[in-house]
Amino acid sequence: MSAAAAPVAAPPRNDLLGWITSTDHKRIGILYLTTSLGYFFIAGALALVIRTQLAHPNATVVSAHAYAQLFTLHGTAMIFLFVAPFALGLANFLIPLQIGAPDMAFPRLNALSYWLFLFGGLVIFAGAATNEGAAATGWTAYAPLSAIKVSTGLGQDMWIIGVFLVSVATILTSINFITTVFIYRAPGMTMWRIPIFTWEMVATSLLVFMAFPALAADLLLLFVDRHLGGHAFDPAHGGNAILWQHLFWFFGHPEVYVMILPYFGVISEIIPVFSRKPIFGYTGLVISAFAIAGLSMGVWAHHMFTTGAVNNPFFSFVSFLIAVPTGVKFFNWIATMWRGSISFQTPMLFSIGFLMNFLLGGITGVMVASPPIDFQAQDSYFVVAHMHYVLGGGSLFAIFAALFFWWPKMFGVKLYEGLGTWCFWLLFVGFNVTFFPMHLLGLEGMPRRVFTYADQGQLPALNMIATLGSYVMLAGVLVFAWNVVASTLKREPVGADPWRANSLEWWTTSPPPEHNFDTLPAIRSERPVFDAHHPDVAARTPR
Amino acid sequence: MPDPYPARVRAKTGYEADVHGQTWPATATTQSSVLASDWLLFTLVGLAVALLVWGLILFAIVRWRRPHGDAGDEYPPQFRDNNALEIAWTVVPLIVVIGLFVYTYRAEADVEAMVPKPDVTIAVNGFRWGWTFAYDGGPTINGAERNPPEMVIPLGETTRIVLTSSDVNHAFWVPDFLFKRDAIPGRTSSFDLRPSKLGTFLGHCAEFCGLDHALMNFSVRVVPPDAYARWRRGASS
Repeated sequence: MSAAAAPVAAPPRNDLLGWITSTDHKRIGILYLTTSLGYFFIAGALALVIRTQLAHPNATVVSAHAYAQLFTLHGTAMIFLFVAPFALGLANFLIPLQIGAPDMAFPRLNALSYWLFLFGGLVIFAGAATNEGAAATGWTAYAPLSAIKVSTGLGQDMWIIGVFLVSVATILTSINFITTVFIYRAPGMTMWRIPIFTWEMVATSLLVFMAFPALAADLLLLFVDRHLGGHAFDPAHGGNAILWQHLFWFFGHPEVYVMILPYFGVISEIIPVFSRKPIFGYTGLVISAFAIAGLSMGVWAHHMFTTGAVNNPFFSFVSFLIAVPTGVKFFNWIATMWRGSISFQTPMLFSIGFLMNFLLGGITGVMVASPPIDFQAQDSYFVVAHMHYVLGGGSLFAIFAALFFWWPKMFGVKLYEGLGTWCFWLLFVGFNVTFFPMHLLGLEGMPRRVFTYADQGQLPALNMIATLGSYVMLAGVLVFAWNVVASTLKREPVGADPWRANSLEWWTTSPPPEHNFDTLPAIRSERPVFDAHHPDVAARTPR
Repeated sequence: MPDPYPARVRAKTGYEADVHGQTWPATATTQSSVLASDWLLFTLVGLAVALLVWGLILFAIVRWRRPHGDAGDEYPPQFRDNNALEIAWTVVPLIVVIGLFVYTYRAEADVEAMVPKPDVTIAVNGFRWGWTFAYDGGPTINGAERNPPEMVIPLGETTRIVLTSSDVNHAFWVPDFLFKRDAIPGRTSSFDLRPSKLGTFLGHCAEFCGLDHALMNFSVRVVPPDAYARWRRGASS
């Protein structure tokens, strides 16, 4: 019998062509992560220009037109090109690893999603090179402000096309995630043993699948209005200016949860590891994710309380209800730390920062869900503060937690803990100094999206404090960048499981081989790797 | 360039110039007193919840922090659920938000209630980037972006605002009234104001409407009814 040589796959190319042509979920994940971080750096730089303009009343750092482009691109990039796609990148890397699969269900579709996302973002930014500049109607692009009569520039069209490409990419990815989780789980990985991060991504993907088509339709209608003689949003020809808002927020509020549910998952993965305990209330965390997702489909018009055109009490009540499953999650995280053995490595610091900041964003969220409060807070800096506490204090802190936590798995080296601690404190202090005063600015009557403000009352002082805080945040981001460079140059390799963590990605090597796993441990709970490495502790853990 | 902001403090009028910033939340109309009580209730409940949860987090991370030099080889108790607790922290917040909703529902109904016959009716039109105030049976005040118009209304009487826009979305916002309403082309939207304090109050466009949105300001001057009647006769002639 002649022994045929076992078929051996050629090792993946590690050059540029290898990365461009890759359909490996880990490479696509890392491409997504680095691209979204690139957009984050640009959007953050734009925010610094905004804060510099607002440091003094009646400043002339930028013109009114430049200012409108700045906050439009800042919001668009942070939401469509950073906070949401970063989660898609993380999920791309993690979902197959967490469920013990070799890759995503549709690897080529996955690559297509990434390239649509990359070029969608580039198209939006390229609008800045056109004659009339980039889009300047805010990330919400309300019609009829975005109609061709008012916003004549090509930049607005490039914004529509770019956001459309990104929304198609996101829909395709959500289909990929759902299929992968339902079909590709390893033997033993029952639904009730799926790690919480992957569960949160299932809920997120369902939301994307329901909400993003409304955005795509809204954008198409706007494009038809602008160039093909449509009048969907033109009241002079039987259209309806409010229709834009309905379609936009039917997408836009679920989008908020698309930008936060994945990070609830990140926090749920990290807190148990650094508390030396299993996650508390696993079932409650899973159910609350789907409760939040379901409720979030019925709250869109709380962005429209001041239109006088919607049923405010209904949308107010459903919005209040979201506080209940969100509260369940908070109490579960606290109970996970309760009586634990808590250590404060950088991922845990950022997770605690997330809890502290996001709590305030959640509470002001309940406040603005009350129409009598919203009548004042809507379109004021109070809402700017609320929204940044959710997406900056919440999602951004979870993003840094995720970077520090999974960096060793992705690249085989740890980021430095000392620089990580500096990064955390600079961002935590800088964030709160920047955004807490914005609550007060809103109460003082400062509208959002203004390039200048009255030299009256507390406005100049509060604005100056906020601007100083934003420079402290810049220092935190620079420390992070230095951490990446320094730790990469030093290259101190780590093992498969540097944190004594729980889920399957910590079973394979760091970084994992192209096919992910040579072996798998027995999967008898949601933390199979921990069970295998600490059988004595696993034996006294209730099922 | 002319000042785009209306003067908030007027010399020699004898009116209380500007209540904003002296009391929070501001209560310059009957409606805003209702709105202010909603603000206070939510702020107090929110602060209580925040202090409780922040307290629990800080207590946990201080009380159960791992000492320096401890590698964490001793694993703490591995409990993972507690049905009674989990039901409690689902049901109690549910009761709290239902209570908040009942309060908020009544407050909104009070604020949006409109009298059958207002004392003054003003058609307000927003445009890029100014306002027109057309008094029913009276004068029309025209503003522009660097020339903010002033609306004069009587103390203690009901003024009805009938709001629309002639181009894109705007919003009529007087921070001291704790209230704003969107001005949307193709729609009109009405609400009542019943001023309870004399003074001149700054107003803004609150919905981004393009280049000079930040300069689309106005002011509202609340005067005694007899002074209002005199002003109206003078402005109409």
